[in-house]
Amino acid sequence: MSRGPLAGYAFIFPWLIALVAFVGYPFVAGFYFSFCDYPPLKSPLFVGTSNYTELLRDHVFQRSMATTLTYASVAVPLGVFLAVSLGMALNTHVRGQSFYRVIFYLPHLVPTVVVALLWLWIFNPHFGLLNALLGAIPRAIDMLAEVFFALDSAGFLRPWAALLLAGPLLAAAVKLLPGPFSRRPRLRSLLLSAAAAWIAVGVVSLADALLRWLTPYNPSRIELPGWLTDGTPFPASVPFAPPWALWALILMSMWGVGQMAVIYLAKLQDVPVDLYEAADIDGAGWWRKAWHVTIPMISPVILFNAVMGIIGAMQVFAEPYIMTNGGPEDKTRMVAMFIYDQAFQYQRIGYASAVAWVLFLVIVILTLLTFRISRGHVYYAGR
Amino acid sequence: MRGADVTEKRPAWHQSMIIHAILAVGGLFFLMPLVWMIVTSLKPLDQTMRPPRSVAEAFVGTGNRAMLGGRDCDVVLEREITVGPGSPAWIVRPGEAFSAGELRLPFGPDTWQKYPVFNKAELALMNAPVTPEMTVLAYDRNRFDPGTGTLTLCSGRTLPATPVRQIQPSAEKLWLVREWRPEDTDQKEIGSAGGDVSRAWDVLPESAIRTSVRLIPYNYVAALSRIRFGRSLLNTLFLCVMVVTGTVISSMLVAYGFAFLEFRGRDLLFGITMATMMIPFPVVMIPIYLLYRDLGWIGSFKPLWVTSWFGSAFFIFLLRQFFLGLPKDLLDAARIDGCSELEILWNVVVPLSRPAIAMVALFTFLGTWKDFLGPLIYLNHQSQFTLSLSLQAFASEHGGTPWHLLMAASTAFSLPLIVLFFLAMRVFIRGIAMTGLKG
Repeated sequence: MSRGPLAGYAFIFPWLIALVAFVGYPFVAGFYFSFCDYPPLKSPLFVGTSNYTELLRDHVFQRSMATTLTYASVAVPLGVFLAVSLGMALNTHVRGQSFYRVIFYLPHLVPTVVVALLWLWIFNPHFGLLNALLGAIPRAIDMLAEVFFALDSAGFLRPWAALLLAGPLLAAAVKLLPGPFSRRPRLRSLLLSAAAAWIAVGVVSLADALLRWLTPYNPSRIELPGWLTDGTPFPASVPFAPPWALWALILMSMWGVGQMAVIYLAKLQDVPVDLYEAADIDGAGWWRKAWHVTIPMISPVILFNAVMGIIGAMQVFAEPYIMTNGGPEDKTRMVAMFIYDQAFQYQRIGYASAVAWVLFLVIVILTLLTFRISRGHVYYAGR
Repeated sequence: MRGADVTEKRPAWHQSMIIHAILAVGGLFFLMPLVWMIVTSLKPLDQTMRPPRSVAEAFVGTGNRAMLGGRDCDVVLEREITVGPGSPAWIVRPGEAFSAGELRLPFGPDTWQKYPVFNKAELALMNAPVTPEMTVLAYDRNRFDPGTGTLTLCSGRTLPATPVRQIQPSAEKLWLVREWRPEDTDQKEIGSAGGDVSRAWDVLPESAIRTSVRLIPYNYVAALSRIRFGRSLLNTLFLCVMVVTGTVISSMLVAYGFAFLEFRGRDLLFGITMATMMIPFPVVMIPIYLLYRDLGWIGSFKPLWVTSWFGSAFFIFLLRQFFLGLPKDLLDAARIDGCSELEILWNVVVPLSRPAIAMVALFTFLGTWKDFLGPLIYLNHQSQFTLSLSLQAFASEHGGTPWHLLMAASTAFSLPLIVLFFLAMRVFIRGIAMTGLKG
C-alpha cells in the first residue's frame, strides 16, 4: 500500500537539493573549470586543455602524484593485511577479547590534528618516543648478551652449546616424559614456557654475537632515521625507494587499522559455525580453515575496505599538511596538498581543478582495477 | 544470532600464547602513543627538549628538589659553578637597587631594551629590580671585591655590597639552583625560571640536590588558555549540535523515503546516492568553496553545517538498510489506521530505530569534532576557530617546541571523545557491527 509518488519525492527532497547543489553542480563545474583560466574575482575563461598540458610539464605535480601512489600502494595493502590479521587474532576465545577490542578502537577516537601532532612528537628524531625505544633495543640485546658472556667467562657455561641445547632439551623432556607432567598441565605449560623463553634468549644472544662478528658494531653509535625530517631513501640499495619521511607517514597510518580490525571482528563473528564444523570433519587445520573458510567469508568486507582505503589514501591531506608541510624537499607533498596550495594559496582555480580531476580519474582507475583483480576471489553469499 | 569463532573451545596453550603475543604487540602499538601523549602532557618543558636518558625517563617526568632557605622546593639547575683561586664566587647583598639585566649583559640600565632579540617575557625578567633585600651571585661576569666591598656588575656599574658568604671550593660539583614553580611551565622562552631574581636560589653541592618525579597538572591550565579552549570548545560544540541535528533529521527523512515509499526513479537515485560516496572531497572542494564564496558564507560557520541539513549519503544508506529490516506489517497497520507518513516515521519507525539513530548521531558527532579540512578552508578568524584549528594554529605558531603544552591541549581535545566512547560503548560496538563497512 502506498500513497503515490509525491510523498516519496517530498521525503527525499532535501537530498535531491544536496545532490544537485553540493554534489552534481560542483562535480560538473569542477570539470568545466579544469578547462578554464579562472582568476580570482573574475569569471572563468575557457582555454581548452592548456591546464592539462601544463600538468604534463609540472614536475612538482608529477612527483606529488608518484608520492601519493607510493603511499597508497604500501599503506592500503599493509593496512588491510594487519587489520585482517588482528581481527582474526581477536576472533578467538582468548581471554581479554573485549579489552583488546577497546584498545584497538581507541586511536579512531583521536582527532586528526591530534594524531598528526602526537606522531610528529613521537617521530621527533632527537627527543621522540620512537627513537628512544629503538635506541634502547640494541642496548637491551647487548645487556642480555653481556650477561651470558660474563657467565661464560666465569666458566659457568659455554653459552652457545648450553643455550641452544638446554631449551630444546627441556621442551623435549616435557613433551616426551609421560608421567609427572601429563598429570600436572600447569607445571607442564610452565616448563614449556620456560623452554620457549630460554630458546628465545639463546637466539637473541646468538644474533648479537653474529652482529658483533659481522660488523664492528657499537650499540650506542647505531644511527637512527630522522623520520619525518629524513629525506634519504630506504632501503637505500633499492632504486626509487620511498624516503624515511614517507615510511613515517605509512607507519602512522597503521595506527588507525585497529578500527578496521574491530569491523572485521564483527564480520568474523557472523561466519556460520557449521562451515567450521564441516571443515573440522574434513580434517582441516587452522591455516586451511582460515584460508578456505574465514577469508572467503569476509572477502566482500575486505574488498570494500580496500576500495575505501584507496580512496582515502589517495586524498590524504591533513597529516602531511600539519606534520611535514610537504617536506623534506617536497618528498611528502601529496596531490591533495598540491590541489589545496594551487587553489587557496596561489588562487589558480582552473589548474587546481584540472589536478583534482586527474586525481579523480586515477582513483576511478585504481578502484576499477581493484574490482577487476578481486573478481573471482570475492565470495558473495546468496549469489 | 551471534555466530561462532574459529573453535568453540579455548585454543591450546601454545596457540593462545601466540595469539596473545600478536594481540599484545598490536595493543601496545595502539596504546603506547596515547600513553606517551598523556605522560608528555605532565612533563616539565626541559624534558621535551632533550633526549630521554632512559626508557623510564621517557615516560615519567623528573625534576630536582633541594632545600632553599629552609624550604624543600622544586628547583632547576641553572648552571654549574667552578670555584678556584682565579674565580672566586660570593653571595652578596647589593647596597642599592639595579635592574636584573645588568647582571647578565654588558649594557647599562634599560639600554638592552632597544634590542629586538628579547621577547616580552625576557624583557620583564631583565627589567626586574634587584633590591638590597635580595642576594645575588658574584661570579665570573659580576665581580665582588671583598677588600673595598664593591660589586662590579656585568654592565660596568659599581655599587657597594655586603658579603653574605664566600663559596668554598668543593670536591663535588657545585650548582646554581633556583626555585621552580608550576607557572613556569607556561613560559616557553624561559620555561624554567632561569634568571628570575625574585625566586629563592642558592649554590649547592650536588649531594644536596635530589631527583624526584615531577608531574605538572598546571600544564593543562597553561595549554588550555593558550588555545583559547573555552571559545574554541563553544565553536566546536555549536557546529556539532547543528550538524548532528541536521544529519539525523534529514537522513532519517530521506532514508524513510528510499526505504518505504515508492516513486519513479527511486532505485536509480539510490544508486547515485551510493556512488556519491566514492567522490573524493578534493574533486568537489573548489567549486563548493566558490559556491559558498558567492553566497558570502566564507568566514562563517554556515558552510560547515548547512549542507548537513540536506542529508548525508553514508548515513542515508545506513538508515535505509536498518529501516528495511523493520517489520513491514507495523507500517501497514499504521497506514490502515490512517496515519500520515510523517506520523508513521515518528511513531513507528523512530522508536524501533533508536540504536541506529543513536549511532548516526554519535558518528556524526565524532566526525564533526575531529574535522580539520572543513574549518581550515572556511574559517579565517581566530574567534571562530574550532578546537582542531586552534590547536593547529598554536602548534604552527610555535614551530612545535612546547610539546608538553601541545600534548596537554591534545589530551584535553581527545578526552571528551574517549569518555563518550566509554559511556556509549554499546552503541559504538553495535554501530560498528551494523555498518561493518566504515566507521
